[in-house]
Amino acid sequence: MQIKNFDVLVIGGGPAGLAAAISAEKNNASVLLLEREERLGGILKQCIHDGFGVVRFGKKMAGCEYAQVFINELRQTPVVAEVLSFVTKIEKTSEGGFYVTYSSKDGIQKVTANAIVLSTGCRERTAKQVQIHGTRPSGVLTAGAAQYYTNILGYLPGKNCVILGSGDIGLIMARRLTLEGATVLGVYEAKSTPSGLRRNISQCLDDFDIPLYCSKTVTRAFGSSRLTGVEVCSVDEQMNPIEETKEYIPCDTLILSVGLIPENEIAEGLGVEIDKRTKGPITDNHQMTSVNGVFVCGNAWQVSDLADYVSLSGERAGKYAAFYGGKKEATVCVDYEGSFLYMVPQKVTIDTVCEPTAFYFRSNKEMDKSKFTLKIDQKEVYTKIYSSLRPPEMQKIEIDFSKYSITPSTKIAFTLSEVIK
Amino acid sequence: MSGLSKLSRKLDELYSGNVTFFVSEGILTLSGQVEKWDDLVSAGLLAAKYNRGLCIVNNIACKNAALTAMKMPLIQDALLEGEKPDVLVIGAGIVGCAVARELMRYDVSVLLIDKENDVAMHASSRNDGAVHPGIDLKKGQVKQTYNLRGNRMYDKVARELGVDFKRIGQYVCFNNSLLKTVYPIVKRKWEKVGVPSKFVSRSKMREIEPTLGRNTKWAVFFPTAGIVCPYQMTIAYAENAVDNGAKLSLETAVVDILHENGKIKAVVTNRGTLYPKVVVNCAGVFCEDIAKMAGDHFYSIHPRRGTNIITDKKAARKSLVTISSYGTVNKKVHSKGGGIMRTVDDNLLIGPDAFETNERENFETTRDSVSQTLLRQGETVPSLSSSDVITYFTGVRAATYEEDFVITNGKFIHNLVHAAGIQSPGVTAAPAIGEDVAKMAVNIIRNERIVKENESFNPVRIPIPKTSEMSEEALDGLIKEDPNYGVIICRCEQVSKGEILAALSRSVPANSVDGVKRRVRAGMGRCQGGFCGPQVGKIIAENKHIPLNKVIKSTSESYITVSETKGEG
Repeated sequence: MQIKNFDVLVIGGGPAGLAAAISAEKNNASVLLLEREERLGGILKQCIHDGFGVVRFGKKMAGCEYAQVFINELRQTPVVAEVLSFVTKIEKTSEGGFYVTYSSKDGIQKVTANAIVLSTGCRERTAKQVQIHGTRPSGVLTAGAAQYYTNILGYLPGKNCVILGSGDIGLIMARRLTLEGATVLGVYEAKSTPSGLRRNISQCLDDFDIPLYCSKTVTRAFGSSRLTGVEVCSVDEQMNPIEETKEYIPCDTLILSVGLIPENEIAEGLGVEIDKRTKGPITDNHQMTSVNGVFVCGNAWQVSDLADYVSLSGERAGKYAAFYGGKKEATVCVDYEGSFLYMVPQKVTIDTVCEPTAFYFRSNKEMDKSKFTLKIDQKEVYTKIYSSLRPPEMQKIEIDFSKYSITPSTKIAFTLSEVIK
Repeated sequence: MSGLSKLSRKLDELYSGNVTFFVSEGILTLSGQVEKWDDLVSAGLLAAKYNRGLCIVNNIACKNAALTAMKMPLIQDALLEGEKPDVLVIGAGIVGCAVARELMRYDVSVLLIDKENDVAMHASSRNDGAVHPGIDLKKGQVKQTYNLRGNRMYDKVARELGVDFKRIGQYVCFNNSLLKTVYPIVKRKWEKVGVPSKFVSRSKMREIEPTLGRNTKWAVFFPTAGIVCPYQMTIAYAENAVDNGAKLSLETAVVDILHENGKIKAVVTNRGTLYPKVVVNCAGVFCEDIAKMAGDHFYSIHPRRGTNIITDKKAARKSLVTISSYGTVNKKVHSKGGGIMRTVDDNLLIGPDAFETNERENFETTRDSVSQTLLRQGETVPSLSSSDVITYFTGVRAATYEEDFVITNGKFIHNLVHAAGIQSPGVTAAPAIGEDVAKMAVNIIRNERIVKENESFNPVRIPIPKTSEMSEEALDGLIKEDPNYGVIICRCEQVSKGEILAALSRSVPANSVDGVKRRVRAGMGRCQGGFCGPQVGKIIAENKHIPLNKVIKSTSESYITVSETKGEG
C-alpha cells in the first residue's frame, strides 16, 4: 500500500486547526487535517453566543458563525479534512518526518508528514480536581458538557443550578440556562476576584440578576441519584474552606467552570517540553515546540480568552510548519520577571527580522496602572503603560525585533510591575 | 480466669454494666445499650478477642446511631411471582456472581438477584482489585484458606472469563532495619503455605522504584501478588453465568423470608414471592439481615468504610510497581493499611483508609480522608501530588467481628448457605468461594434428587473487544466488519462507539452511563467524561429508543438531563 505523504498534518479541526490548515496551504504546503469529531469547528460548534470575531472581523459573531467562515474558506482549498479520525500513534521517521497512524470508519490509516501542527484544544477541570466531596449523583457536570447538552443535543441539564467558578463558559452558561427556563441560584468563585471577562459578568450575570459570590466555593455534593443540594463554604486566603461558614443550598445541578487545561497528551508522547505555568508546550515565535517539526497553536498552546487570538496562533503555526525544512532555527530564551502569570512564546528565533513577534501575557493579579518593559542586554528599549490589568484578560503585544541586533547570546527580558503612585 | 469471665469483667469495666452477653448454641450474643457507634463496635471486637471459637452476634443498641435501613429499589411488580429456582443467589457482587457461574456447571436452575440496577454496585466495584498473595492472614482463618486457593486459581479463571489479570507481584517496604533479621524465619513460614517471597535490598529497591521515599530500608517481594479489575471480574462472572442459563434479576430486593422447621419455604421480594429449593446468601453488608430473616442469625456485620484515590495514568510513572509500606500500617484498624497499587489499566490506586460506620450505603468521600491518605502514601512515593488525582471513591466492607469469612451451611436452616463477612481479600478468594459454595448448594439439592453435571457448560466468555489494546491488523479487520469500532468516543481512554454499543447489548448489558464506564472505560480518564459523557448518553438513548432525559447516570432516577430545551420540564 502506497502511504500518502503530506507536508503538514494538522491534528484538531477547531478554530486553531482550521486557521493552521488554511495558512499552511496558502504557503504552498499539502495539508491533511484530522478531526476526531463528526464535524469541524471544535468547541465553537456549541458556542451559539456572540462576542467572537471582534478583533479579526470587526464585528460580533456567534462562535459557530465564526468557525463557519474558516470552514467555508477551507472548503475552497485543496486541504484534505477528515472527520471521525483519531490519531493513535506518531513515530518519527529516519528522514526527520513523522509516521502517523489514525483510526477512522474506514479502518486503520497511515500517513507521513513533514511537519505536525497540534491544535488539540483544552479540557475542563473536573469536580474531583477542585476537591468537591460527598456523593456522586447525576447533575454534576462541567460547563462545556452542560453547553453540549443544551446547544447540541437540545436537552436541559437541570432546573435549579449552582455554578462554581466564574470562568467565561460558566458565565455564558448562567445566561443560557436562564434563557432556557432554568433558575441559576448563583455563581460561586473561590478566588477573591472573578475569573471571566468583564463583559461576560455584565451581560450574563448582572443583566439577569444572577448573584456572584467571590471567596466562596462548593465543598460537597448531596443526593444518591440526582443531586439534591450542595454545601458552600467561604475560603481563607490559602483558598481552604472555612468549616464554620458552611451552608446548604438545595439544587439539582452543579455546573463547574473551574479552569481549562491544554490537551497535550500527543505532545507529551513526542517528548515536547511543557511549560509548568501555561501547561502547554514551550514554543518559539514560530509556534514550534522543543521537538523539531512539531508545532502547536490555539488552546493546546495557551488557554486564550478570545477565539480571534486562537486563529492568529493557528495561522502562524500553519505558516511555519509549511516553511519547516527539517532544521531547527537558532533561538534565544526570553526571561519574564515581575507580575506575569505567564507569557508566551518562551523563545524567539534569531532571524525574526522579517515580521514583528506577537507576545501574549496575563498578569498574576489585578493591577492598576502598570508598566511593561522590554530590556535587551539589560538596556530598556521599550516600555508600555497599561491603565489596568486583570488575569482573565489576556494581553497581546507586538515587538519588532528587527530594530535590535539579536544574536544567540542576546539577553531578552520582559518585566511587569505596578506603577507606584 | 476463662476468656468469658475476662470478657464479662472487661465489658463491665468499659460499659458500666450496660452491655451483657449470653452464650447459647455456640453463639455469643451481646446486648445492651451504648452511646456511640464506636462503643458498639468495640464491644463486638472485644467479644471476638476473648471468645473460644464462638460466633459473635452483636445485638447492642446504640443511642445515637443504628445500622441504616437498606435502600429499596423503586420497582414493585410481580415479575418473579411463583418462580421456583433450584438455587436463589442473593447479591450480585463478585461472590454472588462467582457462585452463580460455578452453579451452572451442574444441572440446576439458578436465579441471581440484586437490589441495585447493575451487578458489582457495592464493595465489588469499590475496592483496589488486589489479588493478594495471602501473607498477612492468620493460619486457620477461613479467609487464609480461600485467599491461597483463590490466588492460585486466578490465571485460569481470568483467562476463561476474558478479564485482564496481571500477576505483577507486590513489594512491601520496611522502614525498620531490625526486622530484617526476622525475615528468614517468616519466609520459611510463608513458604510452608505456598507463598514465595524474596528479600530486596534498599539499593535494589531504589533501582526498581527510583522515586521511592528515603524511609525505606529494605523490602520483600511477593511474586504471586496480582491485580485485576474487580468489577470487570464481577461482570464477567455474571455474564458467563447468564450465558450458561442462569437468570439475573436486578432491582430485586428480599423483604422477607418464610421458614418453617429449619427450612426456607419462600422468599418475598419487591417483585414477587419465590420458592427456591436452596438460598445462597451473598448479600454483602446485608448478609446479617438475610440471616435474621431466615432464622439463621449467628454472625454480625460491622460495616467499615474506606476511600481510595485514583491517579492519572501519567502519574503511573511515579510508581512503577505495587508497593505498600509496613511503616504506614495503622495497627489499630483492621486493614492492610493500603498502599499504592498499579491497576490493570495503569492508573495508580492509593489507599484505602478504614473507618467504622453504621451507614451501610454511604459512599461519600471526604476532604480529610483523601488528603490524609495522600499524605500517608506520599511518604512511600514523595513525588505523588494532589494534581495527579483524577477521582476518588468510597467502599464499605462487610466485616464480621471475628474478622473472618463465614462460608458455611446454615446453622439452623438447612437449605441455606452463607458466603458472608466477605471483605478483603474477597476479590482474591471469590473463585474458590464460588466453587465451594456452589458445591454446598448442590449437595443440599442432592438430598432430594440426583444432580448431574451440566455437560453443555461453557466456561469461556468472549470479552468486548478492547480497541486500545488491539494490534493494528486486528483492529483494522474489526473496523472493516463494523465501522463503529473506528469511531473514538472517549478520547482519554480511546474507547470506540463499537465498544459502547457492545456494552449495551451483552448478556448482562449496561443500562446507564456508569454501567458503560465500568464495562468499557468510557469516562474513566482524566477528563472524567467531560467530553464523552453527553455522547455516551446520546448513544444509550438511541440504542434503547428513549429520550435523553430518561438516560440515567447510575442508579434509577439519576437522570442526566431534565427535559428537552423549551420543552415541558
